[in-house]
Amino acid sequence: MTETTTTPDISHLSIPKDPWTEPFWEGTARGELLLPHCGSCGTHRWPPGPFCPECRSQDVDWAPAGPAVLYSYTVVRQPAPDGTNRIVAPCLVEFPEAGGVRIVAALVDTPLDAIEIGATLTLGWNRHGDDNIPVFSIG
Amino acid sequence: MTKAAVAGVGATPYYFRGESAPQTIFEMIGKAVMAACEDAGIAVTDIDGLVFYSYGFDAALIVEQLGIPELTFCSVVGGVGGGSAGVLDLARLAVEAGRAKNVICIGACQQLENRYGTSLAGLATTPQGILSLTAGLVGPGQSLALIAQRHMHKYGTRREAFAEVVMSSRAYAQTMPEAIRKREITLDEYFAAPMMADPLCHYDFCIESDAALAFLVTSTERAADMKQKPVNIVASAHGGKREWGRAFFWLNMPDDVFASAGAASIAERLYAEAGVTPNDIDVALLYDHFSPLVIMQLEDYGFCKRGEGGPFVESGAIRHGGAIPVNPHGGQLSECYVIGMTQIREAVQQLRGTAVNQVADAKLAVVTGGPAPIPMSGAILGV
Repeated sequence: MTETTTTPDISHLSIPKDPWTEPFWEGTARGELLLPHCGSCGTHRWPPGPFCPECRSQDVDWAPAGPAVLYSYTVVRQPAPDGTNRIVAPCLVEFPEAGGVRIVAALVDTPLDAIEIGATLTLGWNRHGDDNIPVFSIG
Repeated sequence: MTKAAVAGVGATPYYFRGESAPQTIFEMIGKAVMAACEDAGIAVTDIDGLVFYSYGFDAALIVEQLGIPELTFCSVVGGVGGGSAGVLDLARLAVEAGRAKNVICIGACQQLENRYGTSLAGLATTPQGILSLTAGLVGPGQSLALIAQRHMHKYGTRREAFAEVVMSSRAYAQTMPEAIRKREITLDEYFAAPMMADPLCHYDFCIESDAALAFLVTSTERAADMKQKPVNIVASAHGGKREWGRAFFWLNMPDDVFASAGAASIAERLYAEAGVTPNDIDVALLYDHFSPLVIMQLEDYGFCKRGEGGPFVESGAIRHGGAIPVNPHGGQLSECYVIGMTQIREAVQQLRGTAVNQVADAKLAVVTGGPAPIPMSGAILGV
């Protein structure tokens, strides 16, 4: 039986935020994945920040990320307290309808033999205190 | 115009992670600085410039401990590995501008509680970097695994090529007196090793180690009167393109840059300044924290075409007697990892003609920093 990826243990993490990343977390809290683009010239950017790298405008709009595609991935085996290995797959997710911006996220609940670059991804959530962390799966 | 040269090299012994204790890192730095002065034949009190590579620069402590009377130049190249060869660039600028006569470049690491293998955990705890950690990316090896995976996808690069980088490094390390990993490994052993971050296995990761190294940079005129054969800084560069600055954390590099080592613009500047081509380089000292990035640097530095780095190394090109011998000291994969500093030391030894695994008649060497987010860096040294 092929192994399946799991959700990383992030219980020790707190999520630092600033005024420019806050809208991302406000969106995820509502179950929406939003990405920023310039309110002046429309250029998408990542990470969120105080200026548009193309026109230096500070106007920013947030819009739904749209379809997600697997750009690259790795598979890491983390020792778990019960002596087994937890299989996590940090991956890079590309959003073709959001200017091709990519974010890093965990690829979860996916059999290792189903992982394929270019695959369409399904968005899910990893609840973490008051925050919702986006995770993705295949199939 | 004044030109600069490397006139002295000093190093502590090489230690596996933690085994340099109870020395402090500043004790090791002091020993390396004194050894570099001894090598060049100058007094420690002749030092008037300090250039440090990243991590915990404490100029006051160094000059206090070593009794250096005054600095007329003192600076640090930043970054997380990418800037390492930039110490030569900075020192050279100080010497050529007449700001200092004898500039000591320092690079050191000591991994006691902090292990560099999980170093992203601290660096990414920011509003802009936190998704790396929630995704489970805690070390540079995992971030660069995403790049290696994409190189395989885009160009058909095989794990056999990564294995060849490791096996070549081990073959060189066998004759290096201080190499930490000396045992040769076979292709079967490579494929039997535990995976660390697919497509990277245990052997694709560099050694975790402790050491300090120091280099004396001075003018070519003064160097000519010192003890060793001067090694000229023919070209040097640090900096890098915005697109590559996204490596490790946001990973939003354009597709053609993504599956690379991010060094193409540095390489272009070095070749232009030196007035040479990759064909003129006799030996390459490439920053080898992870084996796939050696392959991508060979492409960035023009030793083979983009995407052909895998077959190039599999042909034996980086071995002794190959088209471009790479890291004849065993590199960071097999000899010792000191954030790129052993690469500079080996370049100087090769050009002096005193290397253990000497490349016959070596006249020009390229030395690289990184691949890591900018600043990236590199130098061409020559005799």
